[in-house]
Amino acid sequence: MVSEPRSRVTQRVPTAPVDPKTTPVTFLGRAKLDLGSDKVAAVEDGARRLYRHRAEAVAEYPAMEEMRARARAGRMSALRNLDRLLARFADQVEATGGKVWWAGDAAEANAIVTRIAADAGAGLVAKSKSMVTEETELNHALEAAGIEVVETDLGEFIVQLGNDRPSHLIAPVLHTTRYDVARLFADRLGVAYTDVPEELNDIARTHLRRVFLSADVGVSGVNIGIADTGTVILVTNEGNGRFVTSAPRVHIAMMGMERLVETVDEAAAVLEVLARSGTGQRLSVYTTMLTGPRRPGDPDGPDELHVVILDNGRSRVLGSNVAEVLACIRCGACLNVCPVYRRVGGHSYGSVYGGPVGAVLTPALEGPEQWADLPYASTLCGACREVCPVGIDLPGLLLASRANTALRGGLEPGLRRAVRAYAAVAARPRAWGLALAAAGQTARLLPGKGWIESLPWYGSAWTDSRHLPRPAARSFRQRWKERRSGA
Amino acid sequence: MERERFLAAVAANVTAGVLPAPPPITTGPPSLPDVDLIETFCTRLGVIGGHAHRCAIGEAVRQILDLLGEHAATAVLAWDDLPVPRLASLLQESGVELLASSMPADRGERAAHLGGYLGLAAGLTGADAGLAESGSVVLSHGPGRPRLASLAPEVHIALLPASRIVRSLAHFLAADPVVVARTANLVVITGPSRTADIEQRLTIGVHGPRHIHVVVLDDA
Amino acid sequence: MLRVPPVQLLVTCLVDALVPGVGEAVVEVLERRGLDVAFPEAQTCCGQPAFNAGLSAEAARMAAHTVTVLDATEGPIVVPSGSCTAFLVHHAPELLAGEPEAEAAQRVAGRLRELSLFLSDDLAEDVGMEAVESVRVAWHPSCHGLRELGITDEPHRLLAGVEGVERVEIAGADECCGFGGLFSVEMPEISAAILRAKLDAIEASGAEVIAGGDVSCLLHIGGGLRKRGSAVRVCHLAELLAGRAEGW
Repeated sequence: MVSEPRSRVTQRVPTAPVDPKTTPVTFLGRAKLDLGSDKVAAVEDGARRLYRHRAEAVAEYPAMEEMRARARAGRMSALRNLDRLLARFADQVEATGGKVWWAGDAAEANAIVTRIAADAGAGLVAKSKSMVTEETELNHALEAAGIEVVETDLGEFIVQLGNDRPSHLIAPVLHTTRYDVARLFADRLGVAYTDVPEELNDIARTHLRRVFLSADVGVSGVNIGIADTGTVILVTNEGNGRFVTSAPRVHIAMMGMERLVETVDEAAAVLEVLARSGTGQRLSVYTTMLTGPRRPGDPDGPDELHVVILDNGRSRVLGSNVAEVLACIRCGACLNVCPVYRRVGGHSYGSVYGGPVGAVLTPALEGPEQWADLPYASTLCGACREVCPVGIDLPGLLLASRANTALRGGLEPGLRRAVRAYAAVAARPRAWGLALAAAGQTARLLPGKGWIESLPWYGSAWTDSRHLPRPAARSFRQRWKERRSGA
Repeated sequence: MERERFLAAVAANVTAGVLPAPPPITTGPPSLPDVDLIETFCTRLGVIGGHAHRCAIGEAVRQILDLLGEHAATAVLAWDDLPVPRLASLLQESGVELLASSMPADRGERAAHLGGYLGLAAGLTGADAGLAESGSVVLSHGPGRPRLASLAPEVHIALLPASRIVRSLAHFLAADPVVVARTANLVVITGPSRTADIEQRLTIGVHGPRHIHVVVLDDA
Repeated sequence: MLRVPPVQLLVTCLVDALVPGVGEAVVEVLERRGLDVAFPEAQTCCGQPAFNAGLSAEAARMAAHTVTVLDATEGPIVVPSGSCTAFLVHHAPELLAGEPEAEAAQRVAGRLRELSLFLSDDLAEDVGMEAVESVRVAWHPSCHGLRELGITDEPHRLLAGVEGVERVEIAGADECCGFGGLFSVEMPEISAAILRAKLDAIEASGAEVIAGGDVSCLLHIGGGLRKRGSAVRVCHLAELLAGRAEGW
């Protein structure tokens, strides 16, 4: 029974991490690979659809603004008291029979999970969708220890089979068509080709059902932890989150340390805004609240509950000028509305967290060295702040992130020099006036009349897709002076 | 890592960062317009693909048998305590097989037991509450109340006394916040299992039940 | 007779250097309402470009200069740009906190008025506006005006008062045009991809002129329209209110 699901899933190659040698190292470089592709067109369609669903759900819920404010307050207050809340949460988890583990970084978290799984004699781990285990690349660690791990969220299962990467916080295969999935299932699961979504769904159901019922260990993430009660909340639509926490003998929940709220009331506020903002549902299909392992007399549920609490850069973010980003509840609304995300998809961000929130979070978590340009991957249009269910000032955080990374590789050196030169002139009104006059004169020397159609070098970045207005022969200030002296 | 060291790193940063002050807020149930709770519950459940059936307690057995017949289910994983008197024996008398709900502790037996759930047709549960706003049922698990009854089968039938329908999830939790700590597993179920992972096309029943029927028992 | 307080014009660097006609239109519109317009000539650029680039020190220097110049004046400061207004209202005070100009930044922030808000909130709306030759106009709501200043129906109310203007809507009007300041040259391919969708929506709208409250976005959209050979023109709200609908 236990070995049965090791059918074809084991034959796949491990999920590839971002390989800096073969992947462009800049956001723009990665984005250009996907720009205009069918893959990104699918992302844009999906993102727009989720955005519309959100708009409808928000419009029909009269308490939306009240609950947004309450969710925001709960999250901000949790971050301001995080050391105290973590201690209380851990005490409560242990008081209800769970075990708490503290992991400073990804490697430690993976080692803890691997050890628990090995101690449980696990040959097979069933995993429900979790961004934090994507962040730590837990699957590699388990596989390296000879433990098979199967993703059970349909989207993540497709990602795993295809050796792909998720491209959206809540819709991992937004970039994939059903024909891709059809070919993948036919190749990897040995089933007859079908591209009917309902039939693909049934294939996954049958395949994964055996995984759920024979896995020794279930691994999940955590959507919300409640400090007052030691409760772990999981939110899923498919039911995989319930299966991996109900059928296997051991449940391991990995939690980013910032997932907490203090009270049940605050958790309720987060739940009321989470699904509405993410998919436009009033609630996701399954909201599971787990408080400790199976209790005496319980007919089912795991005998052991382990909660692995992960720092992995979060305490550094907490002490930084972008601490507010830790309030994120991972609904994905900021991705769906973002004009940049819609055009480039999630893979361009290079890390597991994409979109505006990822552009702030990734350099903050991992340091600016590799990610300095991410905060610049935004037009600062502010649509993300408008939809954020916990009111995170994402444009403000993107600006703060730019200030953090501008001089550490974030700002292209030529642009940096240009902005600095501009600033030097702007600080002196006389120089400014002369510069405007000079620009007006120079502009006359450029070919043509009216708009400038083409410029060399840095200028081409603009003129490749837009004409450039010609500096006015007489600036406003010159005209003003003339008018006043004439009057 | 030691708990103390971990928490010390958090404490060292917790006041150092830039965090906006939380806005002043209220707690408790949010302000929502009054609605007919039962009516709204039934409508909203229908919108998300579930089915509500209102009936008197005396008609409950007939209703359940009809639903089981509709889905050709002869075996049922059921909760022990259900809000209909003598329900188990009445169902058994009508030829319905009730499955053992308790999972064995032994690993091998456990696997075999779970294997029996692979093709399970129907699960029958009670419900601690109904949520009008979202058409959800709240199930608190514990002795005699297996989690898998509302998860493993193709069809989930929940028996919900109408008097237990409240306005929304926030109302339910505000009325009794400790409810989450009284059980190891409280679940709020909002419609049938669904996914939209493939091309954002809504598909029902990816892992959990494809059908959810809530029998709303008129107990006024 | 009641003395009307002077209005200070912060014309913005882009208007000053690239489209001075917009500044002149602003002056005309204000003067037609009987206002005295002053132009503090030591003004340059508010500092937003450096701020958005992440160069805080340079941004602070420019903002300090701007608020010092403006703080030496009195009366409302009118700005024909939502973006520059938002920067000086929301970000400059924070940027200059602890600097000698901190208080000046606060005072100036309290006096700043984006043009369409000033015209519709601070003045009676029925001050007659010039008529224009019959023209189909669509409003492009620039992101910072819309989301940082909350400008929604004010420009529409103002445009409704201009005889000859027939208003049409751009589908997805509140979506960004892809300019983003520095973004348009640092990530030009992505900026262009966002712009393309905006231009498609504009051409589908049937508009002959796109009116806006921010010259930056209008230059981006206008440059894109020119590049694709479109006959649609862009113009600033102030120009329409001054009876000039030819656009640029």
